Amino acid sequence: MAALPRRIIKETQRLMQEPVPGISAVPDDSNARYFHVIVTGPEDSPFEGGLFKLELFLPEDYPMSAPKVRFITKIYHPNIDRLGRICLDILKDKWSPALQIRTVLLSIQALLSAPNPDDPLANDVAELWKVNESEAIRNAKEWTRRYAMDN
Amino acid sequence: MEEIMTTSQGCESDMDCSDNECYEDYYNINDDSDIEQVDPRKVDPEYFEFKCLYEEEVDRLLNETVETLSNILHIPPSLAKVLLHGHQWNIEEVTRKYHDNPSNTLITSKIEPVTTHSNIIMGRYMCCPVCVMPHPVDKFHSLTCGHLFCRDCWTMHFEVQINQGISTGIACMARECDVLAPEDFVLRHLTRPNMREKYQQFSFQDHVKSHPELRFCPGPNCSIVVHGREIKAKRAICTQCKTTFCFKCGCDYHAPTDCQVIKKWLTKCADDSETANYISAHTKDCPKCHICIEKNGGCNHMQCYNCKHDFCWMCLGDWKSHGSEYYECSRYRENPNIAHESVHAQAREALKKYLHYYERWENHSKSLKLEEQTLGKLRSRINQKVMSGLGTWIDWQYLFTAANLLAKCRYTLQYTYPYAYYMDAGPRKELFEYQQAQLEAEIENLSWKIERAETTDRGDLENQMDIAEKRRTTLLKDFLDV
Ligand SMILES: [Zn+2]
Ligand SMILES: [Zn+2]
Ligand SMILES: [Zn+2]
Ligand SMILES: [Zn+2]
Ligand SMILES: [Zn+2]
Ligand SMILES: [Zn+2]
Repeated sequence: MAALPRRIIKETQRLMQEPVPGISAVPDDSNARYFHVIVTGPEDSPFEGGLFKLELFLPEDYPMSAPKVRFITKIYHPNIDRLGRICLDILKDKWSPALQIRTVLLSIQALLSAPNPDDPLANDVAELWKVNESEAIRNAKEWTRRYAMDN
Repeated sequence: MEEIMTTSQGCESDMDCSDNECYEDYYNINDDSDIEQVDPRKVDPEYFEFKCLYEEEVDRLLNETVETLSNILHIPPSLAKVLLHGHQWNIEEVTRKYHDNPSNTLITSKIEPVTTHSNIIMGRYMCCPVCVMPHPVDKFHSLTCGHLFCRDCWTMHFEVQINQGISTGIACMARECDVLAPEDFVLRHLTRPNMREKYQQFSFQDHVKSHPELRFCPGPNCSIVVHGREIKAKRAICTQCKTTFCFKCGCDYHAPTDCQVIKKWLTKCADDSETANYISAHTKDCPKCHICIEKNGGCNHMQCYNCKHDFCWMCLGDWKSHGSEYYECSRYRENPNIAHESVHAQAREALKKYLHYYERWENHSKSLKLEEQTLGKLRSRINQKVMSGLGTWIDWQYLFTAANLLAKCRYTLQYTYPYAYYMDAGPRKELFEYQQAQLEAEIENLSWKIERAETTDRGDLENQMDIAEKRRTTLLKDFLDV
C-alpha cells in the first residue's frame, strides 16, 4: 500500500489528541484510511442517549474527493436512508478539499440535532416528519432505544 | 463544410397550376415582384438555414466571439470565455451588464469573489492547507479570491474534477468559495497530456451546450455541431450521419407541435403506457363479417380479405363515408356538458379523450414502420423487374420518391395529434382538425396507391403525391408557429 499522505496522518493525530466532544473516530488497525466512528446522540434530540456506529473511509484521492461515510446503527432520520447513507451537501457537491474529517463528523452531529425533512433521503420518514412531527419524533426515540442503546 | 444547408423543399417547378390554391401562391409571389428571388420562408413553413460544423470550425467560431469580447472589455480572453459561457454567449448582454456594473458582473459570473482573502506571508516557506506540507512560497497559487494552495494540490484537484466530467464548473478549493478556475489557470496546472485533452474536450462540450445557436447532432457517434441562424424549433438534418432532429430541443422533429408540448405529451404517454397498452393490437375483427384481420401494411384503409368490405382501421367505420368532405375519424367529439357531470364521468371522459389521440398517434407511428417494410419489399420487386429487363432504375424512381413523400407526410400527421390534444376548443381547433382530416384522408389515399403501385397509373400517383404534400404544407403554414 502507498505511503499514507501527511494530510491523513496529521488529521488522525489531531482526532486522537483533541477529539470532538461526543464523537470518537478510531482508525482501523489494518487500514489507516478506514475509521470506526461512534457518534453520541445530541442532547435534546430524539437520538439522545443513543450511541451510533458509523464507518468512514478516505478514498484514494482524499482530500480532493469527500470521505465516504455511512451509519451502521439503524436510525430513524429523514436525511439518512435504510442503508445508512447520509444526505449531506458537504459529502457531495459542496465538498471542498479544505474540509476535514473533523468538520464532516461535526456536520453529521449537527444533522442529528436538526433533521431537515425538506431535503430528504428517506422519503417516508421525511413525509411523516413534515405532516406529523410528534409521531416522527416518537418513532426516532423508539428506534434509538431499540437499536442504539445497551450494546 | 462551408455551404449553408436548408431543409426546404423549394418551390416545385412542375406544379399543376390549374387549381385555385396554386393561383394564390402565384399571386403572392408576384406581390414581392421587386425582389428577384422569392423569400423561401414564405413558401416553405419548414425553411431553416443552418450549417453543419466540424469541431475545428466550432472552435474558430467560439474563439472569434471570445476575442471580440476580450477586445471590447479589455479583459483577458480566458475571463471573456467565462463571462460568455455564463451568459449564453450573448455578447451584447455581457457588454451591457459589464458597462453598467463591472464588479458586480464579475462577482455574479464567479470570476471575482465577494470579498478577497488576504494572506500574511512570513518567511520563505508556507504550509498548504490541503496537503499540510511546507512548500516554498513561490509554489503557491490562487485565483482572484486569494486562497493560496500549492501547485500539486491544484493539479490533483483539477484531475479529480475532470475525471468526474467537470470542466467549466471547477471552483476554488477553499471552503464555501465558488470562484471558478478559468481555462488558462487550469491548463497551467495540468501537465499530463491526456488530462489536458480531456479537459479541453469537456469544456468544448460545455461551451457548445451553453451556446443557443449551436447544437450537437444527436446521431450516434456523430461529432457534427449544427449552427442555426435562428433559435427555432425547425428541422435540421446532419450532413454527416443524416439524422433529422428539432434544432431547438435536439429531440425528434415534431412540427407542428412545439418543444414544450411534445415533451409534455411524451411524458404523458410514458406515464400512461399501461393504460394505453391494450390498444396496441395488431389484429381487429372485420366490422361486417367479423373475421379476424391482421394489419401488415401502413395504410389505414383496410379491405377485408373475406368479404371485401372497405373500412377504416382506426374507427372501423365504412371507408366510403371517410373520403367525404367531412372526415370525422381524426376528430374527438367532446361532451359539451361534461362540466356538469360527476367527477367519475369527467375522469372517464378525460381518459377517453387521451386514448383517442394516443391511439392515432401510436397508429401512425406503427404505419410509418410498416410502410418502411413495404418500401423494402417494393425495392426488391423493382430490382427483379429491372434485372429481367422491365424498365430501368430511373423508370421506377418515382415510386421511391412517392414512398419518401408518404413517410414525410405521415410523420407530420403523427405529430398533429399531440398538437390537437392540447388545443383549446374553438374555431382555431376546428380549422386545425379540418385540415388534419384532409391531410389524413389524402395520406391514406396515397398509401393505398403506393401499396398497389405496380397497378396504379403513374400520373394518378403523382397527382396524389402533389395533393398530399399541399395539404401538409397548408397545415404547417397555418399552424407551425415557431
Ligand atoms: Zn498542497
Ligand atoms: Zn477561493
Ligand atoms: Zn450527425
Ligand atoms: Zn423541439
Ligand atoms: Zn369482412
Ligand atoms: Zn376512421
